[in-house]
Formats: sequence, C-alpha cells, structure tokens
Amino acid sequence: MKRFTDWLLRRSTVWLLLAIFLIGSFVIWWLNIPLIEDMFTVGAITLIMVMGFQMFMGNSGILSWSFVGYVGIGAFVSAICSMQPQLKSMQIPVMYDVLVKIHMPFPVALVVGAVVAALIAAVIAWPLMRLSDAVGAITQFALLIVINVLLAQWQEVTNGPRTFTLGGTRLTTFWVAVLVAAASIVVAYFFKESSWGLRLRASRDDRYAATATGVNVIAMRYVAYVISAAIGAIAGGLYSHYILSITAASFYMSQLFQIMSMVVIGGSMSVSGAFFGTVLVTLADQGLRQFEFFLTQQGANAYGITEIVLAILMILFLILRPGGIAGGRELSLAGLAGRGRKRKQKREQEEPLEPDTTD
Amino acid sequence: MPETILEVKNLSVSYGAVRALQNLTLQVNKGELVSLCGVNGAGKSTTLKAIAGVLKPTAGEIILHGKPIAGRTPEQVHKQGVALVPEGREIFPTLTVAENLRLGAFGRYDAKRFAADLEDMFTLFPILRERYHQAGGLLSGGEQQMLAIARGLVSHPDLLMLDEPSLGLSPNMVDQIFQLIAGLKERGITILLVEQNAERALQLADHAYLLSTGSCVFAGKPADMAREDVARIYLGGGERA
Repeated sequence: MKRFTDWLLRRSTVWLLLAIFLIGSFVIWWLNIPLIEDMFTVGAITLIMVMGFQMFMGNSGILSWSFVGYVGIGAFVSAICSMQPQLKSMQIPVMYDVLVKIHMPFPVALVVGAVVAALIAAVIAWPLMRLSDAVGAITQFALLIVINVLLAQWQEVTNGPRTFTLGGTRLTTFWVAVLVAAASIVVAYFFKESSWGLRLRASRDDRYAATATGVNVIAMRYVAYVISAAIGAIAGGLYSHYILSITAASFYMSQLFQIMSMVVIGGSMSVSGAFFGTVLVTLADQGLRQFEFFLTQQGANAYGITEIVLAILMILFLILRPGGIAGGRELSLAGLAGRGRKRKQKREQEEPLEPDTTD
Repeated sequence: MPETILEVKNLSVSYGAVRALQNLTLQVNKGELVSLCGVNGAGKSTTLKAIAGVLKPTAGEIILHGKPIAGRTPEQVHKQGVALVPEGREIFPTLTVAENLRLGAFGRYDAKRFAADLEDMFTLFPILRERYHQAGGLLSGGEQQMLAIARGLVSHPDLLMLDEPSLGLSPNMVDQIFQLIAGLKERGITILLVEQNAERALQLADHAYLLSTGSCVFAGKPADMAREDVARIYLGGGERA
C-alpha cells in the first residue's frame, strides 16, 4: 500500500494533468453548448498532435517538421479504410479498385492509419536521425514537402487537390476525442520518464557525453520518431472523421505552425508545458477569432490578426523565455507543496510571527 | 603477472590531415592507475576518445580483455566495460542528479543493482544525496565533476577513464578530487587518468606515459621520469641538450 501511494505521488504529474483535462471535459459536456463542445473536440484532437510532437521534439531537441505529414497520412488512410465502398466510388471515381473495396470499423481504421504512418516513418527515418540542428531541420522540412506533394497529387488515393469528402456521420464524438487525448497524455508522460525517454533527453543535453555513457543516440531518436508518427496519425484519423472533408492543405504549414506555437509557448521540454501551451493557445486563438470577427463586422478588414498575434507571441517567448511557460518543469504535487512552503516562509520572514503564548 | 585490462598498440589518430597521435603503445593492468601526461595538444584526450570509440583510429590496435575493440561504436565499448568521464564535466544539465546517475547504470546492468550502487555513491559523494532531485546544471563545478565520476562508476567499469578531472576547479576542490581518485584506486578500480596537473597525477600513478605533440616520449615508473624531462616538455626548453 505504501509503495502504491509512493508511486502515485511520484507520478503525480500525470494524474494532475489527467484530472484537469477530464474535469474540464466533464464541465463542457455538462454545459452542453454545441459551439463550445465543437471547439473543445477540435482542441482535444490538437492536444493529441501536440503530445505526439512533444514526444519527439521535446525529448530529442530536434524540430520535427515532418510530423504534420504523418498526421495527414493517418487522416487519409483511416478515412479510406472506414468509408463505405459505394460512397467511395461515388465521391472519388478515380480511386484504385483495391482501395475502394476496403472497408473496416472505425477503431480498426484508426489503428491501420497509425500502423501505415509508423511503417513509412520506420522506412524513411534511420538516415534522418543521424542529423541534428539546421541540417536535420532542413531535411525534415524537405520530407514534409514530399509527403504534402504526394497527398495533394496522388488522386487515385487522396482525390488529389480536390476535397476528400468522407460523408456519413461523425464517428469521432466528443468523448472519443477526450479519451484518446487523455491516453496520449499518459503515453507522452511515461515515454518521457521511461529509460528510452531518459536516454533521448540525455542525447538532447549533450550528444557526445550521451554516447560516452553508452547511449545509442540514433536508435533512441528513431524509436521516438516512429512512435510520434503513429500518435500523429491517430490524431489525423480522429480529425478526418470529425471534420469529414479534408485536403492535403489541412496538414501543412499552418497546422504545423499551430502545433509548434503551442509547444514553444508552453515549453517543449515537459509534458505539462505542452499541455498548458495547448490550453493557452487554443483559448487565445478562439478569443482572437471572435475579436477578428467582431472587427470585420464593424467594417474594419482585420482578417489574419489571429495569426499575427500568435506569431508575435511565439517570437516574444523565444526571445524572453526560450524554455516556454514551464521551462522544462513538470506540474507535480511535490512542486506545488514546495511552492506553498516557500511562499509561507517568505511571509514569515516579512512579518515575524507573534510569540507563541499558548503553552 | 597481473591481468592486462587494456593494451594499445601503435595507435595513430588523425583529425583530417592533422595527425593528433602517432604510434602510441600503452598498457593498463588490473588495479593500476596509469597516468597520461603532456601539455595541451599532446594527444591525451584524443587517446581516451579513441579508446572509448568516439574517434576512429587511422592505424593501430586497441585490445580490451584480449579482444580488439578498435572501430567499435562508443555504446559497444561502454558495454564492454569502459567508462569515460569526459573533459569539461559533460553532465546532462537539464536532467536531475538522479536521472544522470540512472543513465550511467543503463549500459551494463539492470536497475536492480542500482539501489545498492546509489547508496555506495552517496557515501563517496554525500553532496549528491542532498542534490538528488536537482537539475545537474544547477550544481557547482566541483559537484558536477563528482556527478560525472559517479555516473562513470555506477556502470561498474573494468576501466575508468578520467579526462582532466581537475580542470577549472578551485584548489580546494582539486585536493578533494585527487583524494577521491586515490580512494578509487584503493578500492581496486583500474583507472586511466589524463591530467594537466602532472605532479599530482604522478604521485598517484603506478605507470606514466608522457606525450608530446602526438608521440610518446616517456613510458615507465613515475619515479624514473626525470624532473628535467617533465620540465622540458612542459616549459618548452627543448633546445637545452
């Protein structure tokens, strides 16, 4: 029993984050306002992407531009797998016959999307993982362009530049998105704390010292990259079955920029940072959009103000607080208790306590 | 005849066109402390990096426990029982002391032995117990060096290689580090020590090698190393025949 409570305490980060997220979800569900529920569902799907992104970028320190490409792969593959054959032949007449025939339940389709993305990542990634810094970032960026061109031009699979419409009902419901997002928090946290995650973080701090300590840096990066691609693909699958009409452009720079701003503002090095970054940027994003809408109604042409403000915010964070809000720290009971104690000490120093006369 | 842990034969290493090390031959026996001395650029750190697998030798053999290891990757060499404590206290600054130590233990042993090792490290380095949950980057220079050495020790190396452990530390801390190295030697740990502070290193060493611009100019007992030799190499009075 003692061991169990110790374990709970040591892992308090993940329980606190889950509690905050699930209580938030419950309140929103209880409020039952369709507009807010819709925003929250999209936010939860974005949170899955952020967790997948943080898993690789936060632990390895390599900017993973190609991530959003795997989200796209997951979105298209799972959509192709789950759609009714007649619907597919109607919506996308040019599609390969083999693909038209495929039909499987939604959860299986999600998993297939993740597996396909992971396999593609596994085939491509090994040489990429040798590269760090600017060279690594540029190669990853080039890979994103390759994936995007494939998604946008391979019309027998993705309907090419035209919109891919899934039709039917939304298979991604509010609670499906919430539960998968909760699971992604758990996965990201325990990966970071696992021995693989620890070795990867060591390589981020100092690649040379990490190899001298016996860490196979490339192998660790590779594993994280493949898992991260799979999580991104699951998020993509949920996204396509929620939005119901997708194009390759949905999984490109603007989506990547959104994920990146969340991770940078929150703090890429911790799961808590990524979580609160997602919450903050989502709120700011929605608030700014309302403001933009309001200004446009007043006759001012304010289109794009949301993106500008978020970009400025990201630049400010990079200059003033490169570690993000969290700066590598995790939310934890011990940390909260320590903060409370410090504040109390400070108060006691400022105003000396009355002499104790009760005994 | 004591058991030979490491044998290096005619080792040469180049950085591109620059020859950093030529024809170095050295031997480390079990339980010995062997010291590599020499000025900056003599090839001391290059030797350690070549043994650890970080640099690929251009020629020569590196034999550990009778098996050649030249050309192996650093993680393979680490698995074979060589721990390198790199120059400049390369600890992991954003990881906690606990995580830094756990990393040292991953290479060769599973986590079960780790608890006992940890207690052992705490008796050697009491400061690490106090700082256990702090980020490594918040430690002082001397504490970081202790952490780096402890990280090397928890892998139970057959050969511990220390690269300039006293570099950039206060005189007081330098004393502590040398006392510690003497203590490790007493425990029977085989050590290959690279030091600028030749006098202190030679007091502890069983064998010494003196390097000058990539070549070995002296090999033998520290006591046999004539003071003039050392002074000539270090102070550069080469012309005085």
